Amino acid sequence: MTLFIFYCFAAVLIFAATMVITARNPVHAAMYLVLAFFNSAALWIMAGAEFLGIVLVLVYVGAVMVLFLFVVMMLDINLEKLREGFVRHLYIGLPIAVVMVVQMLLVVGSGIMDPATLPSGDLPIPEDAGNTALLGSVLYTVYVYPFELAAVILLVAIIAAIMLTLRRREGTKHQDPGRQVKVRKEDRLRTVDLPRNQQSGSR
Amino acid sequence: MIGLSHYLVLGALLFALGMAGIFLNRKNAIVLLMSIELILLAVNFNFIGFSTFMGDLAGQVFVFFILTVAAAESAIGLAIMVALFRNRNSIDVADLDTMKG
Amino acid sequence: MAELIELVWILTKIGAILGPLILSVAYLTYAERKIIGWIQNRNGPNRVGPMGLLQPFADVFKLMFKEVVLPSNANRFLFLVAPLLSLMPALAAWAVIPFGAGLVLTDINAGLLYVLAMTSLGVYGVILAGWAANSKYSMLGAMRSAAQIVSYEIAMGFALVGVLMAAGTMNMSGIVQSQAGPIWNWFWLPLLPLFVVYWISGVAETNRAPFDVAEGESEIVAGFHVEYSGVAFAVFFLAEYANMILISGLAVILFMGGWYSPFHGLPVLGPVFDLVPDLVWFVIKVAGFLYLYLWFRATFPRYRYDQIMRLGWKVLIPVTVVWLVVLALMILAGFGPWFD
Repeated sequence: MTLFIFYCFAAVLIFAATMVITARNPVHAAMYLVLAFFNSAALWIMAGAEFLGIVLVLVYVGAVMVLFLFVVMMLDINLEKLREGFVRHLYIGLPIAVVMVVQMLLVVGSGIMDPATLPSGDLPIPEDAGNTALLGSVLYTVYVYPFELAAVILLVAIIAAIMLTLRRREGTKHQDPGRQVKVRKEDRLRTVDLPRNQQSGSR
Repeated sequence: MIGLSHYLVLGALLFALGMAGIFLNRKNAIVLLMSIELILLAVNFNFIGFSTFMGDLAGQVFVFFILTVAAAESAIGLAIMVALFRNRNSIDVADLDTMKG
Repeated sequence: MAELIELVWILTKIGAILGPLILSVAYLTYAERKIIGWIQNRNGPNRVGPMGLLQPFADVFKLMFKEVVLPSNANRFLFLVAPLLSLMPALAAWAVIPFGAGLVLTDINAGLLYVLAMTSLGVYGVILAGWAANSKYSMLGAMRSAAQIVSYEIAMGFALVGVLMAAGTMNMSGIVQSQAGPIWNWFWLPLLPLFVVYWISGVAETNRAPFDVAEGESEIVAGFHVEYSGVAFAVFFLAEYANMILISGLAVILFMGGWYSPFHGLPVLGPVFDLVPDLVWFVIKVAGFLYLYLWFRATFPRYRYDQIMRLGWKVLIPVTVVWLVVLALMILAGFGPWFD
């Protein structure tokens, strides 16, 4: 039963990945990539990595792919021009991909990758604890420096992304709440003394 | 029963698809970014497979870091794409020849 | 055979959650029109059935028998799939919500993470609806709401991190159980800033007033669903209200002690109020939060778009970050009745 479910998810995953690289419209490609991530998340959860599976949905499907869609929809791309040479490159790309798959299958099938013969690692997974708690305890103890580094990388990415896309446009009007609050009555209101006898006697 | 080789084969197929995507969509930089995401996903599949079937948590920790770095990479990549489109009005990789490289 | 029985049992439980949920969506629309009517010194719907109680069904039938108009040059497939994409996560998140002690569909360990992941998917329905309709107004609405939802998700996520730290678990039932006690034992008090941030970003996440620029009737007609009619529109409506109930339910579970009565654990009052079933307390609290939604809509004028962005990025996120540090210190010091 689990094998059947595995094959279902894997088939959809491969189909989605194929459509990502062949779809005519980048928006469709992005949606197929979402489908691929979703199926991968399901497969990871089946493999026992429930935290990573949910994080994949949360980070990739929930944030990164939205960003992709956002950019694809905002940019007015000339699709015809970008499709040029698709068939020509197919003759190069397809053989290379096939050769790579065959090579990797040879390695996998050779029996070197049998889990029984591989040396066991340094961080054995206990049976009783939850996946999330385990990952958390390892991240904050053994891998604390890489974890901090990852945080710094994210910070750099935020700053870089903002600096790359920020531009000051001339002539836009916007509020400055600080200046609005600081306004005094004297700055805007001028009281003028009008002598009484200068009022026009129209009556 | 699902074995390690199932995950490895799936990873290999995904990796090849990602590579093929880079060849096929040589002009469209956004689909290139998506292909890179596919390749990273394939790598993650291998890590998770090994982590599960060897009973070792280190693989999952590594996937966590790959996810972090890949998210940062695509954010910056898309920002470059937007800046590029503003300046050159195209995201064709062949148009990036101002440096005469 | 045993697997089949279990499958049927699970499907029954799903039906037992979804049926009342959809019914309460119907009556939430009725309550909204009635309450806003009273606030504005009107009567609200009062023609269909006694006191207008059958009005929601009249609306449903009207929408069901209307034609779904497909705009010219719309992307047919995505246009029809978008409403389902916005409904699916709104319903799927209910799988881990505990309605009472042990009254939950699946009691998974990473419940909070799952809910966060599901709520983050709602944006797809909005963004695809806006794009697929091939209309300027809906595209504007989709772009606005995509940026808004993604921004407020960060503040919301940080607020939930606070709950996670305080409870020490991501299991939804575990979070409620760690708040066991009278009303001052619940997390709203030690996490008050996070609670406020959560609620504001919850309102913004569901695109409700005063953050409803995604719809913004007076500027962009109806925003992302301007081209939708009939059943497709009804599905968007259903998703929006199911999301409102979900956000209220989460607020109750994470900050307001879930299914516990406000006097739980007190000498005399505790046992008396515990006679009321868990589920009733949960529903009462959720109804209270839903009333807040309606009250906001009747009271506040709509924010301008740049004001929404400023509030999210420059006010709410810094507040949560500061309070997470304070919270860590409180937990370290074993402060009060919450963290001893």
